[in-house]
This record gives sequence, structure tokens and C-alpha cells, in this order.
Amino acid sequence: MPVAPKAPSKETDGEGGDFTRRRLLTWLSSVGLFGSAILSAFSNFVFIKPRATYGQPARFAAGKPEEFPPGTRVSLDVRRVCVVREGNKIAAISTTCTHLGCIVGVSDTGFACPCHGSRFDQDGNVTGGPAPKPLPWYKVSLKPNGDLEIDKGIEVQPGTYYNV
Amino acid sequence: MSETTKEEGLWSAVKELPANVWSSVFRNPVPVSDLDRASTSFTNFFLHIHPVKVHRNTLRPIYTLGLGLVSFFLFLILVVTGILLMFYYVPSTTQAYDRMLDLRGTVAFGIFLRNMHRWSAHGMVAMVFLHMCRVFFTAAYKKPREFNWVIGVLLLLVTLFLSFTGYLLPWDQLAFWAITVGTSIAGYAPLVGQEIKFVLLGDTTVGQEALLRFYVLHVAVLPVVLTLLMAIHFWRIRKDGGLSRPEPQGTPEAGIVKIRIEPGQAPEVAAQPAADAVQKRVFGLQGFVRGNFTKVGNVPDDSVYSWPNLLMAELFVFVLTVSIILTVSLLFNAPLEEPVNVMHPPNPAKAPWYFLGLQEMVSYSAFWGGIGVPGVMVALLVLVPYLDRNPKGVGRWFARERLLANTIFLSMVLLNVIFIIIGTFFRGPNWQFVSPF
Repeated sequence: MPVAPKAPSKETDGEGGDFTRRRLLTWLSSVGLFGSAILSAFSNFVFIKPRATYGQPARFAAGKPEEFPPGTRVSLDVRRVCVVREGNKIAAISTTCTHLGCIVGVSDTGFACPCHGSRFDQDGNVTGGPAPKPLPWYKVSLKPNGDLEIDKGIEVQPGTYYNV
Repeated sequence: MSETTKEEGLWSAVKELPANVWSSVFRNPVPVSDLDRASTSFTNFFLHIHPVKVHRNTLRPIYTLGLGLVSFFLFLILVVTGILLMFYYVPSTTQAYDRMLDLRGTVAFGIFLRNMHRWSAHGMVAMVFLHMCRVFFTAAYKKPREFNWVIGVLLLLVTLFLSFTGYLLPWDQLAFWAITVGTSIAGYAPLVGQEIKFVLLGDTTVGQEALLRFYVLHVAVLPVVLTLLMAIHFWRIRKDGGLSRPEPQGTPEAGIVKIRIEPGQAPEVAAQPAADAVQKRVFGLQGFVRGNFTKVGNVPDDSVYSWPNLLMAELFVFVLTVSIILTVSLLFNAPLEEPVNVMHPPNPAKAPWYFLGLQEMVSYSAFWGGIGVPGVMVALLVLVPYLDRNPKGVGRWFARERLLANTIFLSMVLLNVIFIIIGTFFRGPNWQFVSPF
């Protein structure tokens, strides 16, 4: 007597296994896989972002005020800052172009950037070119030993001078 | 008796040794019949990337101009010369420039290898770009090749990034200031810009950390990414039915072929009326592959064997590419400027030529020129096959039906070229407008 073939149940995995268990395992492994992928992508980013840099310190001593007689406009190229002295007032203006980070040169009329032609007046205000912002001014103070201290970490209002 | 046969067997084994070794390595003799030609392409590891047969249109030089192939061969030259240069290069701010001078002075063929690497890099950027133009103007990105176009755009971007990272490595003035400008442009990206710049440079300014990072990206990360994308790019050419070509003309649309097999009878093939032309064909398993994968029997056979037709074409392009690079490298030395002077940017400080269009735009507005406009352009490029759903004009240069699309694309290309020309020839100190004449 021929046996009628058993009608296939609705949910099979083709191997007669327990479908729900397999589905659970699949789900768990997918979560594990994608979870660890996201986690490792994140930790890779944390890894390649340096916690400490070897660059220059933001705060540095610039020498005695006497080294900058009244009327000087001296660019400290290594520090990327221009020391300006008018009478007894001293200020430090950034020489990093606010456009794309080139070093601006000190010119008679102010500052000029060789990379994309931004121009600034003596106070660092934009007078031409693509620079979006004026050159920032940095905090100047006097250290106890009489040295000028410039802190590039602290920006001050343009036109703020330190009186020596 | 057994002794003698052993002797004979050994003697014949020695006698046939070269032939046996040869035939074990190369499964097929030099083909003389179509079957041999097919199996040569099929059984050789290096040849099986090719289909056994290719459409005639694929081999028309005027259709592809061989631009994709040239890009690939330039990449091969870059890998080989790049690995050789790595033997002498040190990614250190104190040594890198000296090593460049060593290449010039003491390393045998040093300057020649550097020339080859530099000129191939320039060539690859140009060829990848021209290849993209070719694909656009022949409408080769249309269904089912949309995604391969997207891969192609990614390949262009990775190529540019590879070029950019390589640019810093000589640690000369040009390198330093071009990278200073380039990474500052990245800093203008909204929200994540400064973060990206910091991670890319490993510091707030371009220095030792940046040099090391760019080196690793240039010699390890990006080549792997490029190779992977390239493999997908090539694989999909096959899977999307070979290179694009015009619709066959004057042949009926192929229908579905039904095969009924009755026991004791020869299989009976019943075709729908439209498929008259293919009725008497014999079908292999490939006939059952879904979709537009393998075109067995339902296209008019206008194809030729890859061996030797395609191979000869590829060989020709390869020899041509290598000879041009060799000639150029013999005639022109790759530029090397003064060593880095962190205090004094050269005036004007110019990026490599393919970024001069970008630099020109940046000189108007850093955000729009460096991020906004290029971002929109790349987004448009990626979306091209999904925006342009007009199925007409595939496989023909400057098809009339595509006048609008071609005009838009051509103006974009020309705009870029014009900006590059202005940036290269018409910009002097302080990025002032100068006349080159």
C-alpha cells in the first residue's frame, strides 16, 4: 500500500532541523557579528585619534619686552605669531591664515597670504581674498621672571593690548 | 621481465620529463581549434578572468579607447615601482627628503623609478577621469551596470586620495604646503571637519605624525581598498553581461524556450514564435541562469574568442602604456622642491595639478569651493545612473537621444578643466591673476 508523502510543514530549513532554534542562533550570531563590527570600527577610531600630540605647546615665553622696541612688528615664524608693539602696548596676532592654514607674511599694509591671496590689515581684519575670519589675537602677559608669555590657547578681543 | 619494463618506464619518464612538467603546468597546448581556445581561457588562472568569448564591440578601440585597461596597467606599474621605492624610503621628517636626494644620487635606477612612479600616478588620475568620461558619453552606466558606475566613482576618489597621500612623502615644500592646504579644506566640513583633520594629521599641524599616517595610508590601507574595489569592478563587468554595447539591430527579441522531455523520445524543443532564430540551438546548463547574467543563445552570436583576440588587444595596450611611461621617465625628472621650511610657504603655494581646480574654487570660498561644490559634484556623480533612467543610447558615443545628459556632463567636465587651467597658468604670487603670455 503506497504511503502518501507527508505534506511538508510550513517552516522547514530543508534538513529537518528545529527551525526556531536555528533562527534564534542565526539571529544571535548576526547580532554578535554586526555588534562586534560596529564596536571594532568605533575602537579603531578611538585608537587612531591620538590622546597626546608631540606638537608645540600653546603657551610659550617670547622673550623680554625690551627685545621688542616700540613700533616693531616681528613675526615669530616658528610660533606662528606676530608680536606687535605700539608705545607700551604689546599684542600677539596669529600668522596662521584663517582660510587654509598657510603662514601669512608681514607686509607694510598688514598681512598677506601666499596660498590663496587673502589680505589682512595691520590689526588682522580681512581686507581681501577668501579668508572668512580676521586673524585672532592671543593673550599676552608677563611672567614673574620678566619674560613675555603668549598663550595661543586663549584668544582675546582684537585691539586688546598688554601694557608693559 | 618486470625489471626491463621498470627500466623502460623510468627512461621514458626521464625522456618525457620536460613535456610532462610543461603539460602539468599548462593544461592546454597552444590552441588551434575553438575548443582549445575556449579551454585555454577557462583553465588558466590568469586568463580565466576573461570570458571565453567577447562581443566584437568590446574590442573596438574606438569604443573603449582602452582607458580602463590603461588605468589598471598604470596601477600595476605603480605597485611595482612603489614597492621598490619602499626599500629606500623612511617616513621621517628628518630623513624623508634626504632619501629623495639619495634616490637621485646613489641608488641605482633610483631617480628612474621615482620618475616612473610619479608620472604613472599623474597618468592614472588622468586616465581614470577620462575613463569615467568615456563611460558617460557612451551611456555605459545604464541598467544593469548602475552599481558598477558607483564603484567606478569610488575608484576615482580612492585614486585621488592615493595621489594626495603620496604627495606628502617627499617632504619638500610643495608637499608640505599642498597637504597643509588640503587638510585645512577637510577641516571646513560641517560638524566633523576639525575631527577628521585632527585624526588625519595626528596633530594640529602637518608634522611627523601626519607623515607617518599618510605613509601608512599610501602604502597599505588605500592600495588594499583600491585593489578590492577594482576586483569588484572587474567581476561585475562579467556579471553585468560584458562591456556595454549597442542593442543588436534587426533581430527579434528572444523568447522563452521550453524543453519538454518525454521518456523514450528525443527532447522536443518548443519555442515561442519570437524565438525562431534560436529554436535549433542546443542549451547547456548556462541557459537556465537567471536574469541577464550569461547570454547563451538569446543573442545573435557576434562574439569572438578571447584567445587570441582580447589577449592581443590587452597585450598591445600594456606594451603601449609601459613604453610611454618609460619614455616619459627617461625624458623628464619628477619635480623635487626645496626641503620643508615650516616658516615660509612658497609663493604661490600650489597643489598638484588635479587639485588646482579645487584650489582655484577654494580661493573664492573655502567652504563652498572645498566642500560644498565638490560634495555636490561627487553626490551627483554617484547618483548619475539612478537619476538618468532613459534607457536609450547605450553603447554609442554622444547618442542623439542623450543630448541633455551629455551637455550637462560635458559642461561640468569643461568647468573643472577651466578651473584647473586658471589655477595652473593664471595664478601668480599671492594667488593674483597673472597672464602666462
